[in-house]
Amino acid sequence: MHADFLTDAFEKYSGSPALVWNGRSYDYKTLLEIFNKRSSEIKSVYNLRGKVTALKSDFSPESVCLMLALIENECITVPLNRNSKENENKISDIAMCEWLIETDENDNVSYKDLENTASHILYDSLKEKNHPGLVLFSSGTSGIPKAAVHDFTNLLEKFKTQRTAFYTLNFLLFDHWGGLNTMFHTLSNGGLLVFTNDRTPENVCSLIEKHKIELLPASPTFLNLLLLSEAYKKSDLSSLKIISYGTEPMLPGTLKRLNNIFPGVKFRQTYGLIEIGVMRSSSLSNDSLWVKLGGEGYTTRVVDNILQVKSSSSILGYLNYPSPFTEDGWFITEDYVETDGEYFRILGRKTDLMNIGGEKVYPAEIEDVLKELENVAEAIVYSEPNSITGNIICAEVTMIKDADKNEFKSKIRKHCRERLENFKVPSRIIISDKIDYTERFKKKKPVNNRS
Amino acid sequence: MNELNKIHKIIFDAIDVLNEGLDIEKRISKSNDTVLYGTNSRLDSFGLVNLIITVEEKIQDETGVALNLADEKALSRKSSPFLTVGTLSAYIEELLKNT
Repeated sequence: MHADFLTDAFEKYSGSPALVWNGRSYDYKTLLEIFNKRSSEIKSVYNLRGKVTALKSDFSPESVCLMLALIENECITVPLNRNSKENENKISDIAMCEWLIETDENDNVSYKDLENTASHILYDSLKEKNHPGLVLFSSGTSGIPKAAVHDFTNLLEKFKTQRTAFYTLNFLLFDHWGGLNTMFHTLSNGGLLVFTNDRTPENVCSLIEKHKIELLPASPTFLNLLLLSEAYKKSDLSSLKIISYGTEPMLPGTLKRLNNIFPGVKFRQTYGLIEIGVMRSSSLSNDSLWVKLGGEGYTTRVVDNILQVKSSSSILGYLNYPSPFTEDGWFITEDYVETDGEYFRILGRKTDLMNIGGEKVYPAEIEDVLKELENVAEAIVYSEPNSITGNIICAEVTMIKDADKNEFKSKIRKHCRERLENFKVPSRIIISDKIDYTERFKKKKPVNNRS
Repeated sequence: MNELNKIHKIIFDAIDVLNEGLDIEKRISKSNDTVLYGTNSRLDSFGLVNLIITVEEKIQDETGVALNLADEKALSRKSSPFLTVGTLSAYIEELLKNT
């Protein structure tokens, strides 16, 4: 019932190609068959109706159909990225996952009973309504990830309106709403989704040429790298119609160069947060960072220069943090904005949340990991602007006992690489005699900062 | 040692630091033609950024000059300075001459 609008679309576009995965094309009819098989398995073999289920995967035919089957069966889905180094047990514990469904790199599916019982007021509210749920994670102020709970039926509502779908390269990740948003949009409108694990500019450009990709959802960091690699010179990218970008502020110079290199392409800025989903947006012009935000289901207001959003698809709340809403139901984005009539320009974050290549992380998470290391007395983490990834992470550390600074830096890097995802490993490490605690805030200039 | 050799040595030292953290098959070699960010590049965005920062730090240690190698000026050049070790060396030499 909950996935009817998608299965109806699958029937309607039955013979058309839906996905390209591992170089192989899958049509809508095949997806429907996989969906039917998985849905009845989830319902009748494993009895997962309403269960909190981790889906550990990456985009693939099975993972797409499994997610739809979990929606259909009113499960609460916790997508986990198979390639992530993030501590999976920690995440699974926070979400109180009851079952784990996993797909491997050959798309083989396995089920595991985690012998757990989930209990939370937010889960109860979903179960009472017989609605499917979605749990997404974002970095938390205290270093512990925040688990955001969505009512999946609210998120899916906007995909019931028919829109134009394109041949799309799904560049974004499986455990992020951006990636799922692209997937639902494309599949509910009969478009083609091309999946890839290799997100280098070279591979992305060759896939655009090979599959005649029309829409590329990307991040400003990727677009910087595309320019630096000059990969666009080596492939025929004439099929491209739209490049959408979001997740982090774009440098005006990058946008200008992109416009020169791709004269026929429309550049579209999007604005999305885990807590509110992705808002429809339209840029003032192709080379403008001013953007109109909203679309059906969203209203915006600005209080003390901070953007607030009211949305029918906001999260119900966090499992492990206080509610992020005002008393009258507005979500405080913590983003500083400038306004001009209906248009907004996103300036940067109010909090010390760092935006590194579009991935968001709080300093506390990295400071906690640094402090685990022997001979670390104090550690402070902050961001510094960088033209390629928007910001880089800097860590300033003091030692308990004097030691060789270069060797100690190596040890810190090694430890961070083992414990953290790539983008969270500090790029600049400073060994100091004494830490000035205002450092983090001195380095951050909230307004005008690109983070 | 002439200026360009010094710059090469700095970049090679930075490659050593970077390689420490990479799996053997992803390590990059130390030659003038080594591709940094271009066709068949083995670096990802963070590899590239970390390499640039290490090079900047080493230039400052050795020459006292604080360069910003990846500013908008570098990004908006028609030909990227980060394609190979050779193009990066030439770019650093140019920046040092102008300081």
